[in-house]
Amino acid sequence: MRRLGYGAIWLFLLVFLVYPLLRIFYDAFTDEAGGFTVANFVEFGRDAYYVRSLWNSILLGLGTVAATSVLGFAVAFLLVRFDFRGRDLFGYLTLIPIISPPLVGVLGVTFILGRAGTVNVLLHDWLDVARPINFVYGIHGVLLVETLHLFPMITLNVVDALAKIDPALEEAAESVGARGWRKLRTITLPLATPGYVAGALLVFIWTFSDFATPLVLGVHDLLAAQAYLNIVQFVDRRLFRMGIVISALMVVLALVFLVAARRYVAIKDYSSLAYSRVARRRLSPSWQAAAVAFLSLVMLASFIPYLGVALASVGKGWSLTPFPVQYTLQYYERVIVETPKYVVNSFLSSGLAVLGCVALGVPIAWILARTRLAGRDVLDGLNTLILAIPGTAIGIAYIRAFHFEVPGVGFKLTSLWIVIPLVLCIRRLPYTVRGAYASLLLVHRSMEEAAASVGAPGLRSFRDVTLPLIWRGVLVGALFSFMTSLQEASAVLFLSLGGWETIPVGIFSFYIAGSANEAAALGMILIAVAALTVVVINRVAGTRMGGMFG
Amino acid sequence: MRRLVAVALFPALLAALAGGALAQAPIESELTLITPVSKFIHDAALKAFAEYAKEKWNVTVKTNAIPAGTPVAYGRIVEWKGKPDADIFWGGESALFEKLAEQKLLQKVEISKEVWDSIPASIGKPKPIPLKDKDGYWIGTALEPYGLVYHPVKIKRLGIAEPKDWEDLLNPKLRGEVAQCAPTRSSSSNATYEVMLSMHGEDKGWQWLKKLADNTGHFTARSRDVPTVVAKGEYAAGFAVPSYMAFEEKLAGFDIKFVAPKNAFVTPEPMAILAGSRSPRAARAFVEFLLSERGQKVFMERGLFPITPKYKVQGAPGSTAELAVQFTGGVRSYFDGEIANIYDEGVAARRSEALKTRFRSDIESVWKKPN
Repeated sequence: MRRLGYGAIWLFLLVFLVYPLLRIFYDAFTDEAGGFTVANFVEFGRDAYYVRSLWNSILLGLGTVAATSVLGFAVAFLLVRFDFRGRDLFGYLTLIPIISPPLVGVLGVTFILGRAGTVNVLLHDWLDVARPINFVYGIHGVLLVETLHLFPMITLNVVDALAKIDPALEEAAESVGARGWRKLRTITLPLATPGYVAGALLVFIWTFSDFATPLVLGVHDLLAAQAYLNIVQFVDRRLFRMGIVISALMVVLALVFLVAARRYVAIKDYSSLAYSRVARRRLSPSWQAAAVAFLSLVMLASFIPYLGVALASVGKGWSLTPFPVQYTLQYYERVIVETPKYVVNSFLSSGLAVLGCVALGVPIAWILARTRLAGRDVLDGLNTLILAIPGTAIGIAYIRAFHFEVPGVGFKLTSLWIVIPLVLCIRRLPYTVRGAYASLLLVHRSMEEAAASVGAPGLRSFRDVTLPLIWRGVLVGALFSFMTSLQEASAVLFLSLGGWETIPVGIFSFYIAGSANEAAALGMILIAVAALTVVVINRVAGTRMGGMFG
Repeated sequence: MRRLVAVALFPALLAALAGGALAQAPIESELTLITPVSKFIHDAALKAFAEYAKEKWNVTVKTNAIPAGTPVAYGRIVEWKGKPDADIFWGGESALFEKLAEQKLLQKVEISKEVWDSIPASIGKPKPIPLKDKDGYWIGTALEPYGLVYHPVKIKRLGIAEPKDWEDLLNPKLRGEVAQCAPTRSSSSNATYEVMLSMHGEDKGWQWLKKLADNTGHFTARSRDVPTVVAKGEYAAGFAVPSYMAFEEKLAGFDIKFVAPKNAFVTPEPMAILAGSRSPRAARAFVEFLLSERGQKVFMERGLFPITPKYKVQGAPGSTAELAVQFTGGVRSYFDGEIANIYDEGVAARRSEALKTRFRSDIESVWKKPN
């Protein structure tokens, strides 16, 4: 029974993860006739535009990591180490950016900071600035949007890491005279590094694989944008193949960065699992004011997308005025009453995906934490790999891998609705695994041994002893899988089927159809659901959700 | 795994049962489009058809649309290899429809002879634009010019006259204020680039297009984004915009204006039934419906023009039809006067590849956003 289950998990991962990824490499290394060739890569290397896109993507990724690090560290440090008025509130507010759904965030930003956005309109109306200032169109805009969106990834991971640092170590440093910057540099930062690197890697890969933000901002010379634009060019087989080649390159690059990060620090550094009590320093009134001002500014900036989206979801014909002049609920009516399918499908797909995540993820976590089964390390590696693979690449891999008729069934997996929950399940599996794994490590083995000693077989002891002790971790992981499934766009966009569109696909198709208002209304719904999920997660897990992203 | 397969099989089984039960109905109860025609139009057309089918045959048709740009739609149909997930392909260049017919991926549009014959074979001079396929594989549904759009307030602030012709987009004061979509991604842009090359000749045409690129502040990801960014006021003018997309923004409450200058390309929005369609009768009924007065009304109220001289855009004062007439410069029918057209299908098809390659090398890879 147990062996069968282990086999089933492997079969699932091989079919729905390993095979599709191999398939894009196969495509990248073959020509139209199916013969082996490296010509595709040679062509990529010779095309100055593609090469420029590659460098731009890497630079943008590194730039975003740098910007989010400065911001993320500063916020984390203030939140963990100091006490000031409104600290708890700011702790909650930090979570806001991560619930921003794809595409609508950047739309919201253009409504406020675009050439005809609120800020430029005010500059024109009040200060007679004749030419609008270009805040966002261009790669600097992409950097701004990604930074505001992603800095909490750094904050959460660093908060998590800082909270786990044994105060004794820092006290020891102080006792030998290392204070202030010296202590920070030699003790605190190195100890926070594993958590930080995990966050930084996610920031890099996220930026690297996001095509919606640059496309809205008119930036096309980035790798993900090129992958998307080329792949949707089915007519031109050459471009189509280049799209696949770019996806393959993205996977390779993601792998390189993943391995580099893992070599630098063991990402799964659970050596000090226990959270220590942190002594917070009370700030002097003037420093308090400075801290509050700084955090307020950051939060205000990260609130820009939401303000834009919220206004767009109720504003009619909003143009060249600081705020909409006419207000209406018609967009909400349209997306909720007239086309409820987006909301229904989203919950259905994400719900099924999470069931899959739990069914697979809890056994995987248990195997990783409790057994020495052969192939366990590979399983662990695969689970981390999923986090590193760009969604665009996975979507494209699925189109290529499952676009054939299943023998004896008579239809293609890609034309069946189940493909959406399947891809979501694979893509969001790591969160559930991590949630379950972390809590399994906290359950002492002796409890299960005790159960075994009174004759309860493995599965029974798992059900009666382990599960009741770890459900909290599983639930947090599953909720994370759920929330991120709801927001998944890049992989799903390529696979979407008529009648089975999810909310992010709806946001995209409304936006593409020119109805930014309806897109904004759907975005607000997604934001509300995500916010609710985060509140529940918070209730269940406390504020320590950082480990989930690493 | 086994359970997954079972779950996957279940809807297919249901569909098979439903299909069997309805074998006797006059039309099938499901209809799916794959189309670059925007939601504003295709949603309305499908909704009107569903109402009509309910009245006429008491059949509730579940309608669906897969929105996809022309190249994507074409590519998916080819990938489906005759087992399509849609029944109808609607919109884009008619040349692509002929390419599909060659690959036997379309079936003939077997509607009644009377309806077929009510559509003229072509329109426009000196080059005629075909409005239906001589072999019967596609038929036009509505006429639609690709023109230019502008934001009157922005234009006024720039201190220039409202643009009337293509040349006006090259005004140095519009530097960085024009939005357009790449011809590699949009059929309306591709067709309008082709018109410019035909108008000015190859060399001068490319010079013209490069000047336009110098004035361009934003290359959008999709052609539909062009009127959006102009309506909002992000940019002052837009190039190669289908009339109805601009009108949609107008109806949404934006201050935007549209002009179809001389030689603006006019598309018949071709429609074809896919070979292997699971709802061929519903598909034919849909085509016939769109060509009827009731169907043409759907278009006429949304900034499109009738495909036959039988109807004219007309309505009560203040109606959306009248608003559309006003918006598109007083035109009620494209059959009222002579339509200038220099877009040649053959030439366009022959240089389509070269046009895209040259755009990539001469414009896309060297373009810098003006400050």
